[in-house]
Amino acid sequence: MKKIKFHIALIVGKTIAFIVNIIAKGRGTNLSGKYAYKICKNFIKEFKNIDYSKVVFITGTNGKSTTNNMIINALKTAGKTVTTNLEGANLITGIATAMIKNSTITGKIKTEYMIFETDERYLKQTFDQLPAKNICITNLQKDQVQRNGEPDFIYQKIKAVLNKDMTIYVNNEEPRVKSFEDIGCKVVYYGIERNDKSFEKNDFYDVTLPCPKCNDKVKFQYYNIDNVGKFKCVNCGFKSEDDIEYFAKNINYEDNTFECGNTKYTMNYTQPFFLYNYVLCIAICKNFGISEEKIQESFNTFKNIGGRLETIKYKDKEIKYIRIKQENPETLQSALDYVSLDKTNKILAIGLEELKDFKPYYTNTFYGFDCDYKELINSNIDKYICFSEAVAYDSANILIYAGVEKDKIKVLPTEEIVDILEELDKYDTKNVYLITWLHAYEALERHMEKLK
Amino acid sequence: MLNIVWAYPDILNLHGDRGNLFALERVAKLLGIETKVTKIEKYNEKIDFKNTDIILFNVGEVKVMPTLVYALEAQEKELMEYIEAGKIIILIGTTGCIMAKETLRADGTKFKGLGVLDMICTERKDVYGNDLHFTIGEENTEIMANQIQLIDTKLNSDIALGKVIYGMGNNDGNSEGAKYKNVIFTNALGPVLVKNPWYTEKLVKLAMANKGEEIENAIEKEEFEIELNSMECIKKFIENKRKEE
Repeated sequence: MKKIKFHIALIVGKTIAFIVNIIAKGRGTNLSGKYAYKICKNFIKEFKNIDYSKVVFITGTNGKSTTNNMIINALKTAGKTVTTNLEGANLITGIATAMIKNSTITGKIKTEYMIFETDERYLKQTFDQLPAKNICITNLQKDQVQRNGEPDFIYQKIKAVLNKDMTIYVNNEEPRVKSFEDIGCKVVYYGIERNDKSFEKNDFYDVTLPCPKCNDKVKFQYYNIDNVGKFKCVNCGFKSEDDIEYFAKNINYEDNTFECGNTKYTMNYTQPFFLYNYVLCIAICKNFGISEEKIQESFNTFKNIGGRLETIKYKDKEIKYIRIKQENPETLQSALDYVSLDKTNKILAIGLEELKDFKPYYTNTFYGFDCDYKELINSNIDKYICFSEAVAYDSANILIYAGVEKDKIKVLPTEEIVDILEELDKYDTKNVYLITWLHAYEALERHMEKLK
Repeated sequence: MLNIVWAYPDILNLHGDRGNLFALERVAKLLGIETKVTKIEKYNEKIDFKNTDIILFNVGEVKVMPTLVYALEAQEKELMEYIEAGKIIILIGTTGCIMAKETLRADGTKFKGLGVLDMICTERKDVYGNDLHFTIGEENTEIMANQIQLIDTKLNSDIALGKVIYGMGNNDGNSEGAKYKNVIFTNALGPVLVKNPWYTEKLVKLAMANKGEEIENAIEKEEFEIELNSMECIKKFIENKRKEE
């Protein structure tokens, strides 16, 4: 009966995938899987011809999609066949959709490798039906607190699937994920050397995090990105390893190169968080026997789809949009850091906005107090525009507490694009940065289309 | 001089709550009071209770709470004297567990608190996030905040800090937080002392009065214009939510 249900689900899934491919290619990334699951409860468990040692899950708070895309590109460059949820559909239905598309009518997987970005909250549900032997955990940070509450909530969910028969790839410089080493899996560490973009935080008000092993204070010698760097617990001595195999060293931001092992690699993307993605990609590929030459070849062609930066023209102004994830202080900090790099005069429009993903909607901006604004304030911002229906004043207050002069801030308690653009019209400054959720930017794009 | 202990800032660092410390410093400055902040960073560090006016415990992961209780037990006598003298302790969110009688964890285990607040905490299996609007005391001091509920709190006696207008509070009737003498536990995030500086002002004045320094002057309402405007916007937002619910 189970087999009959699986085959019916597979046929339905393939039919839907075929139709979607004709009428809306690139969309409906969950649809086939969603309907397959309505028919067959443990749908992906029933597929055949899977070598679990070549199945990889990529999970963690930030960097899943980029790393996934990078690994796929490298494996494909090396001539390997891969099933993946490249479109970012990282729940079980997205994975099921990818498997439907890459299987025979009898349910045999046609590819050698299966690489999936996996939502950390639902990792166990996916793992129970598809027991991957390789799990990459990029990092565990504060994120979407209305869903996740605290990092330990996700930590426990990931821990629940780890076992001694698998290989885990963990960031050597991120304390939470590194502490998974105690479970007894084969551990592959990856990391990057202190470099020109590394920084220290020794201000009185700077805070770190509790040690995942003993709950005392973790101290960072330096950071490569926020909350990631060479660390040590002040109590139990838990620390980043001194000597690891997959370690980016001699990082050179002028000629865009770094070394890993005895090989020099060239990179197209030079933000420090990309370096972690590059090294993780090297670690995975090397363990699958891919040559350094092929890995480098893939780096040359790698394009970060769905990137966080967009530019839009508005009259004589250029609006540079930086996408941030909701309730995620790390992506907000990265956005602020990016703006800070531009020392020319500019306007910063910031819309932290209310959370409306699911009910109850609410007005959280407190993660803004986790960020550091010193560099931003010293980067020649002529005007700050804080907008949103309910939290514009709270956003402004975060900036005031950070040291921005009150008269440099305009508060717009609205999300109306027309009002925001009207405010921009008042200033001669042509260089504009916009930090907000994706939907607000999409509304701006639609508005600009209408103006054409 | 207002002496503030910022307790375990690295360990209790979840929801931007270092802002609460900034708010205490800002309000004290507006009242013309100097502040001295002492960080207690490690569990084996001692708190100088005699020279402290406010102890701030921000939100932390539930798993660290038993270690915190253990650390404070090493100074329990001095801590209890501090509390009985009416000095201020502020406990935000999950740190209510350390002063509770007991906390039941989601995995079925439990740990004892210091028992200062007559309440039992229960870790939730799911997270609940919402706005939190409530009033405190006879003056009905209005507080607008957020809530990320990881623990529910059952009060065993009449020790509620406030009454919920909108939101969940303790998830125990319409009670929000708890209070014994000036040990104040609230679920309110935001950071709560940033968003509600009128309450922060009361706390600072109380801390000074505790050591015989009455502060007569009040902060001009205009100083809190941003926060008052924020409250009005969020009230409208809540009103719209109520219509949809």
